[in-house]
Amino acid sequence: MSIDYAGFRRELEAFARSACPPDIRAVVAAGQKITKREYQAWQQILNAQGWGAPSWPREAGGTGWDIRQRLIFEEVMAENDCPPLYHHGLGHIGPVIIRFGTPDQKARFLPRILDGSDWWCQGYSEPGSGSDLASLSTSARLEDGEWVVNGQKIWTSHAHEASMIYMLVRTSKEAKKQEGISLLLVPMDTPGITVRPIKTIDGWHHLNEVFFDEVRVRADNLVGEVGKGWTCAKFLLERERLPPANVARLELMRRQVTQLVEQASRAAAGQRDFSGLHHKLLLCEADVKGARVMMAEATDDLIHQRPLGVQPSAIKMTCADVAQRLTTIALDAVGPDAAHRFLADAGQDVPDATWIQNYMFTRARTIAGGTSEVQRNVVANELLGA
Amino acid sequence: MATSFPSLFPGMLLDAASRYAEDHIAQEIQGDPVRELGWTATLVPEEAGGAGGTLSDLASIVEGLATHGLQLPVVETCAVVPLLLQAAGAETAHRWLEAVAEGSARIAPMVALSATPEHDAVTARHLDIGYELSGVVEGVDLTLPATHYLVPVQMDGDDAIFLVDAERIGAPKARYRTMEGRLGADFALERLAVPEGACLARGAAVREARAKATDAALLLTAADTVAALATLIRQTVTHLKERRQFGVALASFQVLRHRVADMYVKYLGAKGLVIHCFHEYEQGAADLRRTLRLAKVSLAESARACAEAAIQMHGGMGVSEEVLATRTAQRLIASEFRYGDRLMHAAQLLAPPQSAERVSLSNQTGSVR
Repeated sequence: MSIDYAGFRRELEAFARSACPPDIRAVVAAGQKITKREYQAWQQILNAQGWGAPSWPREAGGTGWDIRQRLIFEEVMAENDCPPLYHHGLGHIGPVIIRFGTPDQKARFLPRILDGSDWWCQGYSEPGSGSDLASLSTSARLEDGEWVVNGQKIWTSHAHEASMIYMLVRTSKEAKKQEGISLLLVPMDTPGITVRPIKTIDGWHHLNEVFFDEVRVRADNLVGEVGKGWTCAKFLLERERLPPANVARLELMRRQVTQLVEQASRAAAGQRDFSGLHHKLLLCEADVKGARVMMAEATDDLIHQRPLGVQPSAIKMTCADVAQRLTTIALDAVGPDAAHRFLADAGQDVPDATWIQNYMFTRARTIAGGTSEVQRNVVANELLGA
Repeated sequence: MATSFPSLFPGMLLDAASRYAEDHIAQEIQGDPVRELGWTATLVPEEAGGAGGTLSDLASIVEGLATHGLQLPVVETCAVVPLLLQAAGAETAHRWLEAVAEGSARIAPMVALSATPEHDAVTARHLDIGYELSGVVEGVDLTLPATHYLVPVQMDGDDAIFLVDAERIGAPKARYRTMEGRLGADFALERLAVPEGACLARGAAVREARAKATDAALLLTAADTVAALATLIRQTVTHLKERRQFGVALASFQVLRHRVADMYVKYLGAKGLVIHCFHEYEQGAADLRRTLRLAKVSLAESARACAEAAIQMHGGMGVSEEVLATRTAQRLIASEFRYGDRLMHAAQLLAPPQSAERVSLSNQTGSVR
């Protein structure tokens, strides 16, 4: 039976307008940082509707939607200023557990992701291995029926407020570096875990260092086979190579920045020249339209099980680039008034200064998830050979 | 590599145009290939002896030629002319469209390549017997021989279209080689007397035809740009793989690898944008013209960046016209200035709503573009 995508879009639009609380929408609309409070509240609302996991199969408690429906979902939610889905549980570890987890792991972890009670973070990067993930050295050894973890993770988003971490650990040093890696699920309140905040250039606290000192984890928290964690990690990366949210959220940001520039332009009343910013916004608008078609084509390829080639890298590079350009435009628009108000006292809302934080935050878009240089290598290998 | 540049408008028309371009690459144009190959019939309705095709069909031809760097005025001859002719009354339009399709009339638009068919360069005055036309039109394409010129004019505050014998127009006041290697010319019409029947149409039908011709010219030029970008990158990739410096292939230098990767990502974005434009065109979208202007501004940016990068990466060969990549770079930069440059379109996009251009009649919803 063919899907009525237009009807589906209308149903989502009606829901988004009526179900998303105004205070949450206001945060999203203003381009402010979305915190655990908004993410969790929205997750609970979606879950009550049966839409808690748009990308999961129905038997795991998901919607069973196809990727086009997921794309529409992301677009409609972004158009209506609803928060994005928190990706670490729903987009990353959830699908891995569904694919590789035991029945017991599915029963223990999936419902708590769906209803928002567990908040996950990702333990991948280490001080000595950023994009070169296979070189990680945090170790886990089996001792008295438990895994004992030692080492350090870094750039761990939300570790300070997460209840669980999924992490890659080295369980063997014998084989080549991709082998001997395993995937472990660890409660953050386990003794021996220390979380230390990393002060970042945007002034928000989201990144952390996480230290593991003789941390004991129950043996059945290892996902898949011992030493096959790389397979799980690759599965995760492949699944999430095309996050539909990227393009949809980019259009939301473009509208926000356009509004910001118009307001600033009016307020400046001829004292400052905004023509350059207006011109840059046009280029961003065109790039978002192009990226949307790139995303739609990749979606079609996924549906028809055609190889994706370099599309995910190209889309990531484009989205990261446009996001950085948009926040740079915003920085120019608000800079003179907001630069001295970068960080306000707790509880004070400084909307213009938020755009300075957004500008700083967005610098990470070309670093996280594989730097743009790594993506260029992927594209160049396709064009020129390795 | 072949799969890295899938055709935008695949099919027999693309294959034929591509083959023709490959066979005639870097040769001086002999005769009138556009008409001899029957491409002028593409947009002409079947009842007038044409193929009744669409702009996508014509885009296949444009893409095929650009893929091998052949420069022919397909947009002007096969799109702008038949679309402008449709402003005339049914009988007159039918007669001339039939002549265009069979090649018995070789009609060229008397429009500057740098301006859209909506731009007025000529004015007309009604006399007791016939009309007189005055104005200067700079940068008209003269690549192919013409028996007639279609001249959009302003007449008493209204739009009109004239069809004038080439002999009556006379020789241009200056001839040029255009940036991408076409023949161009400036015409000065000084109170040129034409007969009553030369005025094909005036009023709303002309405005509609000029708007449609402008949309088509912008769309097809965008398709040409994306096809030329694919050619440019293919040529650059081949060069980087074959050319050796310091004992190794240029393709082994990471800075060059990243540079060509950036070009390719720009190409993918440009391709997506052009596909979006064609979707909007086919759906009669209310803001088609706005999207076309956006594409114009954006493609100019991407095309120039890629052209400059390719010239640089070809080293000394990059400044030689013998090299296809260099000619393609010239074509890309020249295309920026076809049918309004990026600054003109940006100005229209950024103009306050009250000073926005007139309602486009080719737009079914009648909204201001």
